[in-house]
Parts: sequence; structure tokens; C-alpha cells
Amino acid sequence: MSMNNKIAGVVAGALLVAAGLMPASGLAQYPTKPVRLIVAFPAGGSTDIIARLVAQRLGEKLGQQVIVDNRGGAGGTIGTEIAAKATPDGHTLTMGTTSTHVIAPAAYAKVNYDPVKDFEPITLVASTPYLLVLHPGVKANNLKEFVALAKSQPGKLNYASAGTGSTTQLAMEMLNRAAGMDIVHIPYSGNGPAGAAALGGQVQALFGSMPAVLPHAQAGRLRPIAVGTSKRSPALPNVPTVAESGYPGFEVSLWLGFFAPKGTPKAVLSRLQKELVAIANSPDMAAQFEKNGASAVTNTPAEMTALMKTELDKYGKVIKAAGIQLK
Amino acid sequence: METDIIQNLALGFSTAVSPINLFYCFIGVLVGTLIGVLPGIGPVAAVAMLLPLTFNLDAVGAIIMLSGIYYGTQYGGSTTAILVNLPGESASVVTCMDGYAMARIGRAGPALAIAAIGSFFAGTVGTILVALVGPPLAEIALKFGAPEYFSLMVMALIAAAVLAHGGMLKTICMIVLGLLVGIVGTDVNSGMSRFTFGASGLADGLSFVVVAMGLFGFAEILSNLQDKADTASRDILNQKITGLMPTAKDMKDSFGAILRGTAIGAFFGTLPGGGPTISAFSAYAVEKKMAKNPENFGKGDIRGVAAPESANNAAVQCAFITTLTLGIPHGATMALLLGALTIQGIAPGPQVMTQRPDLFWGLIASMWIGNAMLVILNLPLVGLWIKLLKVPYRFLYPAIMVFMAIGVYSVNNLDLDIYMTILFGILGYIFMKLKCEPAPLILAFVLGPLMEENLRRALLISRGDPTVFITRPISAAFLVATALLLAFMIVPSFRKKREEAVAESATL
Repeated sequence: MSMNNKIAGVVAGALLVAAGLMPASGLAQYPTKPVRLIVAFPAGGSTDIIARLVAQRLGEKLGQQVIVDNRGGAGGTIGTEIAAKATPDGHTLTMGTTSTHVIAPAAYAKVNYDPVKDFEPITLVASTPYLLVLHPGVKANNLKEFVALAKSQPGKLNYASAGTGSTTQLAMEMLNRAAGMDIVHIPYSGNGPAGAAALGGQVQALFGSMPAVLPHAQAGRLRPIAVGTSKRSPALPNVPTVAESGYPGFEVSLWLGFFAPKGTPKAVLSRLQKELVAIANSPDMAAQFEKNGASAVTNTPAEMTALMKTELDKYGKVIKAAGIQLK
Repeated sequence: METDIIQNLALGFSTAVSPINLFYCFIGVLVGTLIGVLPGIGPVAAVAMLLPLTFNLDAVGAIIMLSGIYYGTQYGGSTTAILVNLPGESASVVTCMDGYAMARIGRAGPALAIAAIGSFFAGTVGTILVALVGPPLAEIALKFGAPEYFSLMVMALIAAAVLAHGGMLKTICMIVLGLLVGIVGTDVNSGMSRFTFGASGLADGLSFVVVAMGLFGFAEILSNLQDKADTASRDILNQKITGLMPTAKDMKDSFGAILRGTAIGAFFGTLPGGGPTISAFSAYAVEKKMAKNPENFGKGDIRGVAAPESANNAAVQCAFITTLTLGIPHGATMALLLGALTIQGIAPGPQVMTQRPDLFWGLIASMWIGNAMLVILNLPLVGLWIKLLKVPYRFLYPAIMVFMAIGVYSVNNLDLDIYMTILFGILGYIFMKLKCEPAPLILAFVLGPLMEENLRRALLISRGDPTVFITRPISAAFLVATALLLAFMIVPSFRKKREEAVAESATL
């Protein structure tokens, strides 16, 4: 045995002993390298912005960088699939949303992951409301008048969406059904073009994501008539909710939360849960979210699973009724 | 009103010329240029990669630096288009045609210089336009609905047929092929996949970078390598470089082209969607139509570089109009810039102008400063880029291929994109052998999906009534212009035109 091999043997032995002394949970070693946070949407989008805000703070708390890895495409299913199949050691996380973990699995004919079985939910961090806005030329000042207008001329009004199968479509389809309206869906490619169509009066209505339409509502270019959340938005305290306008139980919002691949050690998950809840609830982060039209929301893994199951059922019905199927 | 604008611009310049903002602008332009010359890395990839760098800057600094990166990358993209036939983005596809031809006859220097000069002129005009009439122009852009966009794109595609130096039939075939390639991906209306063969990487369609890098860059390398003699001749070719700067005749020739290119770019640039691409192609088409010697185009005519480069830059500048005044992004790069604003806690939208005048006017002022820096930075760099051409091809091409692969991969982080690039490279090589111009294919590939989207959207809104295209005045005007264009091409009227037509039918 050469000298080098002897040293190697001693080192290996010492390492084994050290490993034996570590707590069985494996927590002390986490994180041993930078953590990858997969965002299934392109850089600069609303999901990406929230992810980056949280990632930076999480990195400081963990003592390791949290690197945002944008894996956009196919409605967020490409990146989410990569996250589902990543090594479950806590070094790969993903920012899941209503789109990736509810709508895509319900609307796509085939998705290569199961939102409930393939992931360990950690916590929600934020949610974004949806706001029903009208072109100012439309003769309706509230939801009641708008429903009456739509019913007086069935099949004549149009609404824009950010794309087939997007939350902006599903929100309006839910309202169509709840109110017995027949407003026609005109899909656009993203929130920007959909907003432009509403601004230019190409369509009469848009159930848009709050950050995309709020500036126009505030500038008086679009008329906000209802918010889709169960409570009024602090940004627009005078705008009633859809629920209080006569459709109790109506709720559409986009939530964003952290997920780890199934099988990630329990100790790692609870550490992340603790840190992420603290980050999301910190006053300055809440202020940052607010600026982006979102609000901080946190919960427990069990609550997240329950939320996904309820929403898979709720959106599944709308998707089926509206005949949406993505392939 | 006028004093307002002067006051506003004064506020803008006082913001932009603070040493720290000048520094951010310079860093942006420099980094942008350096990244832009890497083949395959266009503005979208560069801005996305560098976005996190700006998170810790203040809002004004961040947006100024990002716009600098945007201009820089764009200019860098034109540099590779001219030197090695690699367009960085769809608009520089046009620059490839005569820019690369100029490089092959040893005139890469003047081509690079005229691109910088034309871009600067167009950028200056664009900046003034944004400052003067930005907000009202944005309102006009909003009047453009689906029927208007559709008719505009029909016109652009027909205009593309003028581009080809080959026969009309070949051009039409390339356009149709481009439309087909553009169909790949998810249909916006039904959400169904088309021609994706079950590959999720194709669900969002083929990316421009893949198609352009393959058809232009990769195919060019294949053809250069096909035999030893050719590689050697390429090396020799590059040794006899004549003059770095444009001659007086070059400047005189380009003057009109730059003016017309700027006007065309400013017009199309304000319309969201396809602006820079349509304007570069249209500017080239107009120059070729107006030229006394159109047969020179495609063989290294300096006007074929000056016009599209000016048009492209004017369009980019005007693209800021809708992005800034309405908060509506004008394509992927603009969406990223708006994202950067949002990260800074500024909700992009009409209020930015009133709530953050320092930011709005500071950005407008720094647009001009950025353009000026590009010229100052790039004219001396021309010599350096030319030296790059003197690197023996056996060293140059593997480097290009590696960077190309990195660039293509960086767009979506998908390895499938690299394989697709190889596929398009082989296709491009076949086109080269068949003497088919790939440029019309690229234009159709970019415009096709937009055209289909708007056609179907127009018909959805009109509930299936096709007369909507002729009853809406703006749309009708575009269609009439298209008809005139077609008549112009099909009826070979006068002397020179007849000669051309004869030459064309001979090649068919």
C-alpha cells in the first residue's frame, strides 16, 4: 500500500465516522450547494418576478445561492416536468402556480407529471387577483348592468384572454356559466396583447390578471367592475367582488407556491417551510408583492394539497363544460 | 406644448447624463455589443441573461442599462450578419444578403460602418419621434385590430416576393415553406398541437434563432467546408480587404437609403408585432425597386445594408412608444424590459409618464446617448472585427459552431433546439445548392403565425364575415396597396422591368 493510498484510507475512515455523527435527518448538510429554483415560465414574467424576489431572500437565509432556472414552454408543463423528475434532495425546487399544478393537468390531454403525487407541497407565498375590466365605451357601470347588457344581445359581446386554457379564459367562462351569459372568447397570445385589445375596444371585456390591467384601470382607460377574489382588493377598495355582486362562492385567483420533488427529506421540507413562511410574511416582501399586484399568502403542505384537489375539481368542470382540451 | 417638450427633454438629459447613468448606459452598450457578436445570442437571450444584473440598481439605472444592452446586442447581431452570415435576430436576416456579400468582396469595413451610421441616424430620428408624438402615435396603434394586422402582413409577404434575386416561383415556394414551418406548435385558438410529433419542446413552435442559425450560419459553414479549395479561397478572399471606412460614393449612395429606411422603420415600428422585421424587409424591397441597377442587390450593394439597418433601428426606437406609453410590450425583449420595471416596483402603464417623468424622459434621452455611444464604440471596433475575418477558417468555424450551439441552447435551455438547428442547416445547404433564397422563408416563418392568428381572430370577432377586411378602411387600404404591388410585379410594364421579367422567366 502506497503512502497516498494510506492517507486516502484514513481520510475515508474519518469521513465515515463524521457521517455517522451527523444527525440522521440529514438537515445539517442542507444545503450543501446552490439550490436550483425551476420557474416554468420565461424570465421577466409575473411568476418569474415573484420567484426571483423570494429566491434572493431564501438564498440569504439558507447561506447558499438560490438560482432561478427558467424553463418556459408548453404552458409551464416543460419546467414542471423537469422539477418532478429532479433528485429529491432539496437542491431542486419549483415555483408552482394555479397554471402548472391545476389548469395544465386538467386541460392538457397528456401531462407527464401528477401535481399531487409527484410533488411535496411546501407553502404558498403569494396570490394574484383577477380583475374584470370593460372598455370604457361599453354601457355598463357594474357587473349587474354588464350581465343585463350581455343577455340583451346574446352572442354579440366578445372577451379577450391571454390564450386558450389560460386563467383569464377560465375566469370568464365561469362567469359566463354563473350568470347565464354568452360572451364569445377571443384568444390572444399573452396578457399584453389581450390588454391592448381591450384598450383599443377590439373586445368589450377582459378578466385580466391584476398586475396587467390595474395600471390601465387606475388611468381610467379600462373600467374595473369586479374582482374575482373572495375579498376586495386593497388597490381598488371601491370595486366589489364578483361574489358580492350576486354570484356567491365565485373565486378565481392565481396562487404561487413552492414545491419540491416527491421524496425530499421531511427535515429539509420543514426547514424550507419555516423560512419561506417567514420571508413571505415579512413586511418588506409584502410591500414588494403589493407593487407587483400580488399579496402574500402562506399555508401548510396539507392545506396546499387540499387546495389543489378542490381547484382541480372546480376548474376541471369549467374546462369540460367549455370544451377546452389542449394537446 | 413645445416648451413642455423642451422642458421634458431637459429633465431627461439631466437624468441621463449623470455620471452614474452614463456609466450604466456605456456598460449596457458595451456588454450588449460583446454578447451580440456571439452567434445565436440575440437581444432576447442577452437581456434575459443580464436581467438579474440590474436588480440591485435603481430603476432609472436599470432600465437605461437594459436598453443599452438591447441596442448593443442588436448592433452586435448585425455585425455577425455582415461578417459571417449569422443573423442575430429576424430583422438582420435582410442585412445578411448584401452585408455578407460585401464582406466576401473585401468590403466588410464599409458595410459595418454604414450599418452603424444608418442606425445612429435612424435612432436619432426615432428618439425625436418618441419625444414629440409618442403618446398620440400609441393611440393610433391601438386602432389596429385583427383585420388591420392581417392585411398589413399580407402586404408585407407580397412585398417579400420582390426581394428574391432568383425566380418568382422559387420565392413563392420559399414563402409557402416558411408559412408551413411557422405552423409548428400550439394553435392559439384551439390549443391543439400541430406538427410537434409529440415533442413537448416543439409545443411553442420553432424559435427564430433555430431556423435562422440553421439556414444561414450552419448552412454557410457546410458550404464553405465542402471542399478544400473553397476554404482556401475564402481565406485568400479575406486577405484582400479594401478600406475600412465607406468611400464618398458609398455615403452618397447610402444617403437616400438611410432616409427612406428610417421613414419605413418609424411607420412600422409603432405597430405592435413584427415591426422591426417587416420594416427591414420592406426597406430593402423599396430600395431594390427604386434602384437603377437592381441586379446589384444581393451581390454587395451598400444600399442593401444601409436601408434595412436604418429601418430596423428606427422601428426598435419607435417600439418603445407603445411599450412606454401604454405598458404593452412590443415583442419578447420589450416584455423583458417591462418585467425589469415591475421588479423595480414600477407598474408599466400610462401613468409612468406622469408619475415618473425622470424615468420616462431619462430613458428617452439615454436612447439617444446609447445610440451615440454605439457609433463611438463601434467605428473603432470595425478594424478589430475585420481582423477576426483574417483568422484562418479552420480555427474560425469550430468557434462559430460552439458559440452557435451555446446561443441556440440559451434561448429555451432545450437540447432539442440544437438538433433542430443542425436539421435546418442541412436544409439550408440544400437550398444553397438549389439557389433558393432563404430570406423570404424567414419572413414568412415570422409573419405566418401572426397572420394566421389575426385572420382567425378577425373572423371570430366578425362571426365569420370575411367582408370585414374590406369594410374597415385601414385594412382596405393595405389590401389595395397589395393589389397594386401585385399588379406592378405581374405586369412587366416598361423597358427595364421587361428585361428583368425576361431574365426571371429564363431562370424558371
